[in-house]
Amino acid sequence: MIFVNAVLSQQYRPQTLSAAVRSALGKPLRRAAAMTQLALVGAVACIPVERRHLPSALLWQSTSGPRQETLTLLDEVCNGHSEPLPYDFLATQPTVAAARIQPVLPGLQSAAYFPLDTEGETHWSLLIALASNWLEEGRYAQVLCAHLDTWAESATGHWLALAGAPLGSSQATLQLRTMNIPGALPDTPGFPEHLAIWLKQASTPALVLESPRAPRLAVEFARI
Amino acid sequence: MKRPVYITGSGLLCARGSSPGAVADALWAGEHSCTGRRLGTREFPYFSLALPETDWLARAERALVSVAAQLAPFAAETPLFIASSSFQVGHFEQQGAPFDLPVASASFSRRIGDWLQSSGPRYSFSTACISGLSALEAARSLIAGGQIDEAIVIGCELANNSTLAGFAAMELLSQSTCQPFDAGRDGLVLGEAVAAARLSAQPGTWRISGLRTGIDAYSATGPDPAGGPITRLMADCLKEAGVGPAEIELIKLQAAGSPGTDLAEGNALRQVFGIYPPPLLSLKPYLGHTLGASGIVELVTLLACLVADRIPHTAGFKKVDPEIALLPMVDRSNAHIQRALLNLIGFGGGLATMIVERDR
Repeated sequence: MIFVNAVLSQQYRPQTLSAAVRSALGKPLRRAAAMTQLALVGAVACIPVERRHLPSALLWQSTSGPRQETLTLLDEVCNGHSEPLPYDFLATQPTVAAARIQPVLPGLQSAAYFPLDTEGETHWSLLIALASNWLEEGRYAQVLCAHLDTWAESATGHWLALAGAPLGSSQATLQLRTMNIPGALPDTPGFPEHLAIWLKQASTPALVLESPRAPRLAVEFARI
Repeated sequence: MKRPVYITGSGLLCARGSSPGAVADALWAGEHSCTGRRLGTREFPYFSLALPETDWLARAERALVSVAAQLAPFAAETPLFIASSSFQVGHFEQQGAPFDLPVASASFSRRIGDWLQSSGPRYSFSTACISGLSALEAARSLIAGGQIDEAIVIGCELANNSTLAGFAAMELLSQSTCQPFDAGRDGLVLGEAVAAARLSAQPGTWRISGLRTGIDAYSATGPDPAGGPITRLMADCLKEAGVGPAEIELIKLQAAGSPGTDLAEGNALRQVFGIYPPPLLSLKPYLGHTLGASGIVELVTLLACLVADRIPHTAGFKKVDPEIALLPMVDRSNAHIQRALLNLIGFGGGLATMIVERDR
């Protein structure tokens, strides 16, 4: 059985992100991109200190990607104002973020980044399916699934912390469903917000997430 | 893993040729020449695709469609797993300022889906040089778990200046040639390529018996020189495959000619395999380092060589580095390989190891 141990949504103004990191870690994170900072504050908020050494994986998706860094890089390369900085380099952003998080979450063993191709559509069902498979195999003790966006005016993180064993704070269990289920919620960036509301309101016995293009990756949540 | 996952088809377009078989033939013949790519006043060696189009998107469409056509027909709803480091950044460069980036950063994958007439889900992966094996890992997991039955995994890295400039700014590029594990190695030579692997629950010649991704947080620009994280990942992958080091018959190295990364990989190999490892092969002197596509490009190339029982030597290697103290293959081989291990070590700290086994 897979347990939902944390459901979290965070929103920051970009200029307040570094203060949030300092508050979470007790020290600043030098030369970290916005995406790295956003990933770090969310990961730390989802996993309590006593579980940070356990084998973990991070699966995160993003609509914006490192947008500002990409624009900076293109400007440098195409308009010739300066040499591009190594940390503006496109695909290094997600891997660098994972490497910066690992000292804080020493159990972090693997990270995968899923840039999204359509505004308003996400891959929560894919991330949860992968997490479920790996937790059931015993590959990891916990898997963090996230959607992170950094725009010019806002930085938003939505998180689910899944594990093969419950905590005292566990709120729900989940299981994968390989069939169409009527009334399913669509796979959208803010799905954890809907899940959190459902957990509080207790209006239906189960909540189902389904991606229209991938009905065999539906996920059914049940309250504990 | 609940059910085995097989590689049942492949397609490839790279500097060496336009099909897996043609590329294997070229490698057996020792072809490893490359062209150059200009960046400002400098020119770097570069492995380019021989395509006539000058428009970036038209060129990309030609490359993707040609690779997909090499696969047997697949259902439109088959999920696509698309790996790239740079996606369509070359298109933005060609358009010029003001840069009109789409809201969704991987919108290029949507275009790939259209070109391939796909109506199924598309999943994009971008974790620098290990992107290809990250995509393969996800597809394999869903097939093994029974959530899907088949997947097309695509690695796509097409020419652009942003990537070249990024590596050039870090002084990571060779000015001459790729020399894996060589005492005189002086950096990477980049290249472009598109490849596809078809994964299935239906039996095929090759089975994926182990696949693990990991993190080396030693530094943002290079792995732990002692090779500790790479060692642990290879050990995990061997454990998953249920085999010992002595049962690996060939290793496809990361070995891109990078002074630091080659050393880390060499140190890790000695820790896992001792001082007499299985034959070591780097494909990058033939193809260039194709970054986010390299996992799929090198897998497809390797399997084409193994199917033909024609394993090329490691071009570019001349002299053992006493610090690495390992010798890659210097002679071609007709060995019939049953089981091979593939390594990827990515810029930024991503690691991946995969084991493939001949199943029939």
